[in-house]
Amino acid sequence: MNKNYIILTALMIVLAGGLLVVPERQKYQQIGPDELLWEIIQPTRYVSTDKVAQLIIEGDPSLELVDVRPTADYEKFSLPKSINIPLDSLLQESYQDYLGIDGMKVLFFSNDDIKADQAWVLAKRLGYDNIYVMKGGLNCWIRTIIQPKKPSTDSPSTEFALYDFRKGAQMYFTGAKTETSEKSSNKKAVKIQRKKKKTAASGGC
Amino acid sequence: MHVHELNPKKSIITLSIFFIIIVVGFITLKTPWLTYKQVPEQTLRMISEKGNCLYPYELASFVAGTDDNIMLIDIRDKFTYSRGHIPGAINISAYDLTRKEEIKQLKEFKDKGVSVVLYGDNQLQANGPWMLFRQIGYDNVKVLAGGYDYYKMHKDNLADTESDDSYFKGTADFDYAKVAGSTVSTSTTTSTDTKKPVKVRRKKKKAAASGGC
Repeated sequence: MNKNYIILTALMIVLAGGLLVVPERQKYQQIGPDELLWEIIQPTRYVSTDKVAQLIIEGDPSLELVDVRPTADYEKFSLPKSINIPLDSLLQESYQDYLGIDGMKVLFFSNDDIKADQAWVLAKRLGYDNIYVMKGGLNCWIRTIIQPKKPSTDSPSTEFALYDFRKGAQMYFTGAKTETSEKSSNKKAVKIQRKKKKTAASGGC
Repeated sequence: MHVHELNPKKSIITLSIFFIIIVVGFITLKTPWLTYKQVPEQTLRMISEKGNCLYPYELASFVAGTDDNIMLIDIRDKFTYSRGHIPGAINISAYDLTRKEEIKQLKEFKDKGVSVVLYGDNQLQANGPWMLFRQIGYDNVKVLAGGYDYYKMHKDNLADTESDDSYFKGTADFDYAKVAGSTVSTSTTTSTDTKKPVKVRRKKKKAAASGGC
């Protein structure tokens, strides 16, 4: 028979076999390591608990809160309107629809910020945009929003403005509980809030 | 009759050209400078494993200069590094981490079996770069628990911090449900409570609050 054709066929088969050695095509679309590092070193992904509280209170419709703690913890307590995607099932197919929604800001949070940040790095590698991390996590949330500390009397006015905001947020998030216990201080807080409409407050835990 | 059968020499030439093109194609196949060695699933498994962190008490011998198995890399910028760093640590700013020289250096450490420990001011700062290096295949890279801030506070009694667990991350400091009251499941039942907050909301719409930990 035709020897050349046999050789040619054999060559083709060998080359086709070579495709098996070529690394398997990733099932995800992902960004390269260089780009990922660039994204990682940007601190813009961190959102303070005060900002988160403000967004929740304002009812920002584009905010999607994602609790990456285990489901058991989520069921005990979480932020209002948050959804639960446990970190270890972040890559599951069924959760991907929650991450890549156009125009939605996805905010990861956990007990502190390490797990949330890890979720962020993974999601970033998969090319998701508009993802953020709540700085300090729920620990910071409790310290700043649920149990705000009164600044010392010699603190700058911005500290007091921030404290007033947090006091108001505390009322919002804890409901009637504080209202009954601190009726007088509540009134005061509301009054002061009017004055600070224009001030940008800062501070931290 | 086919041309090839009549001219065996010609077909050999065709064949070799064909072969050369394929080989050249494979050689010039663009391989990116850095590639992931872990698929995301592996990374996910990796971050929950033990041994990703170096604990502050393990630093004592490094600071004393008697530990050759660890190399500390300060990923903060030059200025911050110059104002104070862990003795013996080298400075590679996070911006430069994927430069060719740094990767080469990292590879040398890996080949020598030296653990590379990244640290920033806190653990969070080094978390991202650490995850990146693990993903591109540097299994010898660890992260310093507590970061520089913790080290600075305890640099005189590093050995004593073995029993301290305040630098452990990921744990809840509060019983949230108790402290914060409302839970997800009760959010529907507390509808009466939420009436009050509506008032607060209106007044503060313009107050921009910022700050954090």
